[in-house]
Amino acid sequence: MDFRLTEEQEFFRKTIAETVDKMIVPKADEIDEKDEFPWDLWREFSKLGYLGLRYPEEIGGMNADPVTAMIFYEEITRGSVGFAQSVIMNILMGTYFVYRFGSDAIKERCLLPAMRGEKIATICFTEDQSGSDLGATRTTAVKDGNEWVLNGTKMWITNGPIADFATVLATTDPSLRMKGLNFFLVEKGTPGLSYGQRLSKLGCRGAITGELVLDNVRIPEENFLGDELGKGVVYVGEILDEIRVMTGAMALGIARAAYEEGLEYARKRVAFGNPIGRYQLIRAKFADMATEMEASRLLVYYAAWLIKEGLPCRKEAAMAKMFATETCLKVVDEVTRIWGANGFAHEYRPQRHLRDARFLLYGGGTHEILKDFIGRSVIGKI
Amino acid sequence: MNIIVLVKQVPDPEAIVEVKGDGKGLEVEQKFTMNFFDEFAVEEAIRIREKNGGKVKVISLGGAKTTEVLRKAIAMGVDETLLLEDPNFEGSDGYSTAFVLSKAIEKSDYDLILAGKQALDDDAGEVGPMVAQFLGIPHVGEITRLEVKTDDNMVVVDKVIEGGKEVVKVPLPALLTTQKGLNEPRVPPITGVMKAMKSQIPKMDAKALGLSEEQVGEKGAKIKIERYLPPPKRREVKMIEGEPQEAAKEAVRILMEVERIL
Repeated sequence: MDFRLTEEQEFFRKTIAETVDKMIVPKADEIDEKDEFPWDLWREFSKLGYLGLRYPEEIGGMNADPVTAMIFYEEITRGSVGFAQSVIMNILMGTYFVYRFGSDAIKERCLLPAMRGEKIATICFTEDQSGSDLGATRTTAVKDGNEWVLNGTKMWITNGPIADFATVLATTDPSLRMKGLNFFLVEKGTPGLSYGQRLSKLGCRGAITGELVLDNVRIPEENFLGDELGKGVVYVGEILDEIRVMTGAMALGIARAAYEEGLEYARKRVAFGNPIGRYQLIRAKFADMATEMEASRLLVYYAAWLIKEGLPCRKEAAMAKMFATETCLKVVDEVTRIWGANGFAHEYRPQRHLRDARFLLYGGGTHEILKDFIGRSVIGKI
Repeated sequence: MNIIVLVKQVPDPEAIVEVKGDGKGLEVEQKFTMNFFDEFAVEEAIRIREKNGGKVKVISLGGAKTTEVLRKAIAMGVDETLLLEDPNFEGSDGYSTAFVLSKAIEKSDYDLILAGKQALDDDAGEVGPMVAQFLGIPHVGEITRLEVKTDDNMVVVDKVIEGGKEVVKVPLPALLTTQKGLNEPRVPPITGVMKAMKSQIPKMDAKALGLSEEQVGEKGAKIKIERYLPPPKRREVKMIEGEPQEAAKEAVRILMEVERIL
């Protein structure tokens, strides 16, 4: 048993942490306030090459193992959650199916520019009547000669309104529910594709989220992303654990950002003649936060290690996501308490962390769904 | 043009540093970073190489963890690294550090040596100039601009002086120490980070440098540290209550009778 990161991974953590501190942290408040996509930062950051994190070196990627990728997700989220959401969309969900099934021409057109930050990627799962219940997807794909015709409206699409290409989940046969689901590539400029309402969100501001409307969108056969029809859900399974553990890593990132603010305040803020960190009730808060964050870290990186080793980990990934998120929600709450009324002021950061952390409840699976799944896995068939 | 850069790993500016109970040493939180001023040296060396070709080699003297700053230099873009590591190097002062570094440099091919103007931990600012002395080459300190004149085999540098700057021409080989303002150190790209993660860091100890135990570390040092003292705590602020005129009288009384300053 060895719980240490390798010297190389430690070096990677330090490097990405320094990069985040230098490039992203100083802009995080402004990104949150403006709630606009930070184009300058995007261009500056994507030049460093991190958007190719998961992909092979031969095509300009880093071929990072899942543990190293989690280090990245945690650190970048510590800097700015809004920015991290857009970055991670390009790195993982927004490009995975294009990488896995795209033709060489599609890869050349979409994947490689996305790895360089020249194109923005997204994935479209959610609709107004389907989120956790993917089987209820109503966006349809109908074959017409050598083309597919897509119709439907997608909701909660991160990067949606600014995306250059989208991987769209659609059903080819609604009666088959989960077994009728497939992925299709839709590129910006395709007639019938339009961007609907942009959402105003409580947190993760700066990540542009909105609707995508597909009105008789015709795409060529090669834009079907899969080996055979009806396997969409199976393909999701290939990255589901990674998405969940990644959400857990993001939770750790937000928790750490908030925790650091809390620590600084507890050391400096004086009440009744002492820094408040000297009082037992404040110390107790730090004891709980530090312990639960450590437990979350172990779960997240253990699950990442399982993925790396190719071992089954659906339950552990769900646990890691849920536990790290619940810990994060506690930490951001406690930090606003430690900050007293200042934690309620827009002028300071704790409120941003408090708002940002809420998204974790829905991204990567609601805890109601995850708990049901974990409970079922543990109890087994009865 | 071959450039050698000297770097030092120092405690992170945010690391907690405390004086040990016996006052003989320091308790340092295990958070380290590349010395702030050395980053300018690494950046400048890479820029010169990008323009003029050649190689950049970074040398550091330190413990096993020092590989971290050497990896950072690789991530930024340097070609070679060398770690001078030996238990006998412990307790080095500026003199014995400079001596060991100069012995390692003598084994390399170089036209220019760059180093940070001082280390942020001991703030001595000795090593750069001492290395130049050991090697018998010119030294210019605290430069804020560097221009290479390859045809004349010299560099022209700006250095800040009281109320202005001095422009100095220096024949090569030379050792220059770098000051803030020289450049903006780059953020390492992922290709560099990957290269750094995979790199083996070459190491040399005293024996490999042909040095005896007596010549290095604490034994080779000219300075012996007697005692460390924590900075004095700031004294408490005393607020003087009452009407301004009365308070002023009280303040004068304290200054004259209690503190005896006036």
